[in-house]
Amino acid sequence: MTYQPLNLGRWIIWGGAALLFAAAPHLFPGGFALTMLTQMGVMILFALSYNMLLGQGGMLSFGHAVYSGLGAYVTVHALNQIGAGTFYLPVPLLPLVGGIAGLAFGLLFGYVTTKRAGTTFALISLGIGEMVFACVLMFPGFFGGEAGISTNRMVGQPFLGLTFGPGIQVYYLVALWCFLGMAGMFALTQTPLGRMANAVRDNPERAEFVGYNTRHVRFLQLVLSSFFAGVSGALSCINFEIVSAENVSAIRSGGVLLATFIGGVPFFFGPVIGAIVFVFFIVALSGFTKAWLLYLGLFFVLIVVYAPGGIASLILMQFPVIRAGRWRELALPYALAALAGLVALAGLIGLVEMVYRLSDQGVSTVLQLLGMSFDARSAPPWIAFGAILAAGLASLRAAARRVGERWGAIQLELQAQAAA
Amino acid sequence: MEFFLVQTLNGISYGLLLFMLSSGLTLVFSLMGVLNFAHASFYMLGAYFAFQVSAKIGFWPALVAAPLLVGAIGMLVERWGLRQVHKHGHVAELLFTFGLAYLIEEAVHLIWGRSAVEYRVPAELDGPLFRIIGSQYPIYRGFMMLVSVTVLVTIWLALTRTRIGLVIQAALTHPQTVEALGHNVPRVFMLVFGGGCALAGLAGVIGGNAFVTEPGMAAAVGPIIFVIVVVGGMGSLAGAFVASLLIGCMQTFAVSLDWSLAGIKISQVAPVLPYLLMVLLLIFRPKGLMGTREG
Amino acid sequence: MKSAIELRDVHKSFGTTKIIFGVSLQIREGERHAIIGPNGAGKSTLFNLISGRYEVSAGRILLHGADITNLQPFEINRKGLSRSFQVTNIFHNMSVYENVRCGVLWPAGYRYSFWHRVGGLRDVRQRAEEVMERIGLARRRNTLAGTLTYAEQRALEIGVTIAGGASVVLLDEPTAGMSRTETAQVVELIRSVTEGRTLVMVEHHMGVVFNLADRISVLVYGELLATGTPEEIRANPAVQEAYLGALHKEAARADGSHA
Ligand SMILES: Nc1ncnc2c1ncn2[C@@H]1O[C@H](COP(=O)(O)OP(=O)(O)OP(=O)(O)O)[C@@H](O)[C@H]1O
Ligand SMILES: [Mg+2]
Repeated sequence: MTYQPLNLGRWIIWGGAALLFAAAPHLFPGGFALTMLTQMGVMILFALSYNMLLGQGGMLSFGHAVYSGLGAYVTVHALNQIGAGTFYLPVPLLPLVGGIAGLAFGLLFGYVTTKRAGTTFALISLGIGEMVFACVLMFPGFFGGEAGISTNRMVGQPFLGLTFGPGIQVYYLVALWCFLGMAGMFALTQTPLGRMANAVRDNPERAEFVGYNTRHVRFLQLVLSSFFAGVSGALSCINFEIVSAENVSAIRSGGVLLATFIGGVPFFFGPVIGAIVFVFFIVALSGFTKAWLLYLGLFFVLIVVYAPGGIASLILMQFPVIRAGRWRELALPYALAALAGLVALAGLIGLVEMVYRLSDQGVSTVLQLLGMSFDARSAPPWIAFGAILAAGLASLRAAARRVGERWGAIQLELQAQAAA
Repeated sequence: MEFFLVQTLNGISYGLLLFMLSSGLTLVFSLMGVLNFAHASFYMLGAYFAFQVSAKIGFWPALVAAPLLVGAIGMLVERWGLRQVHKHGHVAELLFTFGLAYLIEEAVHLIWGRSAVEYRVPAELDGPLFRIIGSQYPIYRGFMMLVSVTVLVTIWLALTRTRIGLVIQAALTHPQTVEALGHNVPRVFMLVFGGGCALAGLAGVIGGNAFVTEPGMAAAVGPIIFVIVVVGGMGSLAGAFVASLLIGCMQTFAVSLDWSLAGIKISQVAPVLPYLLMVLLLIFRPKGLMGTREG
Repeated sequence: MKSAIELRDVHKSFGTTKIIFGVSLQIREGERHAIIGPNGAGKSTLFNLISGRYEVSAGRILLHGADITNLQPFEINRKGLSRSFQVTNIFHNMSVYENVRCGVLWPAGYRYSFWHRVGGLRDVRQRAEEVMERIGLARRRNTLAGTLTYAEQRALEIGVTIAGGASVVLLDEPTAGMSRTETAQVVELIRSVTEGRTLVMVEHHMGVVFNLADRISVLVYGELLATGTPEEIRANPAVQEAYLGALHKEAARADGSHA
């Protein structure tokens, strides 16, 4: 019946994804792009595993880095043991070690965290995360303290001629595991457990009355998710050749939450978009400004308030309009809104950067922007940037209203057409 | 013996500080169902504002002005932020405050830099309050206790003797019933949220100079007060009180004891203890010490 | 003969308020049993006690002779008791088909499996299709449950409840808020899906009660006033006195409309 064309679409999507993974280093050549792409691959896997909790199971976790981080620690020790000749395992199989370690810790900690749901689950996951972080600092013998443990991924015999010295080989290793992980996690959404995780997210009480122990569903979902988190941790260990306390920190846990939510929690592929944006923010933007975290946080808050379905929902919303051939009517309002947004952003950036110039003793108070220079100690630039921000926000409001009106009108017409 | 006494007093003063934080959090949670992830960030803001104000005009004006300022910011956040996401549910509200915590921390980085600021105990409160054979107890610790107890008693009276207080009270014991009522009283929400933030701000004013005022202070205290809320039982003020004192004393003693067990010093494991307590409690008493609600 | 459900002196209080005062009741294997009573009598509370939603304050509850007192809802469900809710309680963000499938998965033996592909489970799909056909929602299979009409949601509520083929089915006011034609359809639906099972239902609509039930229990303020066949209940002076005054007229009216 309706299954056939859907499956075809699925083949196209997955084929396209595989192709994209393979072609990415050629589409974006250069060493910088390669490091970024590799990190994106790791983050995609991590964010997808996180979404098994938040998106599919309704579990808001503030401590997911525990599973990826401990997976990474076990991997780094395994890698060092391989290097020391204690045992042999080809490097490409190491992510499995990380995954199994993640799963083991998922079994251990998940037993406690999944006892409760909702807000309490969120707080417990935070507590477990803090506990693990404190323990990591407490036992420097195994965890290497603040500095962490470094390693060398070029150990043992080359595997099929691959030494994993060059970045491109690491990229393809990450890409392969990322793709496999993606496929695996998608497959899990199509299993009885995966569907019941959705049911427990939507209405836990009813799930209990059709025979399911909601706690057990949450527990299994978390354990499976921590396997993939562990795989991503192992990949990050192979990529960076160092694992430190930062890997299990609240910053990591918060980061994956940010990335996943920005991408779009309700959709399987949402976190992929989120991970790409997130890594771009970190790698690309952090080189330009010290305030990148502020911008990221602001972006996140805007998404929470205005687009709780994330970027993915914003994109998917456009499809019916495009299919109906009506996007041309929206092009102008969109362009105006984007322009107003850029103006507001420019004002904001100016203000933020000036605050930073004033507070940090080390840097000059003169701000270079677009070939012009402003002294943060004088009043005019403050007034100017403030005015730009205000004007930008005001026009953004007007533009957004216009988009809303146009959008609403088109939706009404489309609905009327569909009903007719 | 005198060591024990002094440490107990220290523990209680720290515990009371924690209760100033956890009580605001609990009140907001009980009334609005919102877990304010940024609660500790308001604590940090209180400390930084106090630092700034006391540098300009002095500590005593700061003691009043900083909490009021923090409370005002809290009200703005509720009015222009939380209320917008309310329609998306409690998870969205929690996420919003999570993002807010990020923003506040980064704003503090930007404005005051990444290292600790010199927010000191005022000269008139510096020095020992009393001595017992060798150990001395600082005036400021006594002052902290005085402030905490005064504020908490005032709040207790306000909760039991005023009309708004009675509405809030009712919300604590009959959450479902008053939740519906509460939705019709957004002003009460705004006031309680702002009040909770002001309380956190005040804790920051007196805690910031007793300990240290730095951008990491929110991230350090935040998890502890969340643990207190879980251990005490979500939404239970009495539970939060007991858990605050328990964890306050536990932390104080653990840090100062130099016993060791299997080669590990007690003071080294101190950071883990609150979380361990939480885990044990969850295994043996999932509702928390005094909680009534299952999560 | 063994009872499908047996209540032995069951009490329930919320805090200091007593709601159920020592109810003892035996529901026979295979019968259709109706529980009637005024608003607030404790009918739904009784269902909540039997199905494990609330803890019993005192007394025992048995299912097919086995003690199920204070078991978790999912444990009771796995023993073959399924219930519907007075206030529609379905998975709003899932399609009709997925809702019904949620009711099928556990009893079909797939439990927490993460190694089966649900799309490939023919037995589950067949059963879900069959249930959707029965509740008249086959054409709405891909609609989100939250967007169904009220009557459709009530039908789905019953669908999710009976999907697993439980041997004992508890329905809490299945026809509440429905029009006369809708009610007639639901009555037929209930009759057909509970063939060969034990049915307990709470119902205010006397036409439905006297039409469907083999036996009726009358619950008034947490106490069981009488249990018996429809004729016995109609003739029972205590029921008449305490409660049937207004109800009798309604019943007569409803009977008239069915005759
Ligand atoms: N969780 C609860 N906490 C406190 N009181 C409750 C609770 N659940 C039910 N009650 C009370 O128990 C009494 C019986 O309620 P119940 O819902 O069982 O009545 P009912 O017979 O199903 O009525 P109706 O015909 O209106 O559905 C009511 O007074 C109700 O307020
Ligand atoms: Mg009822």
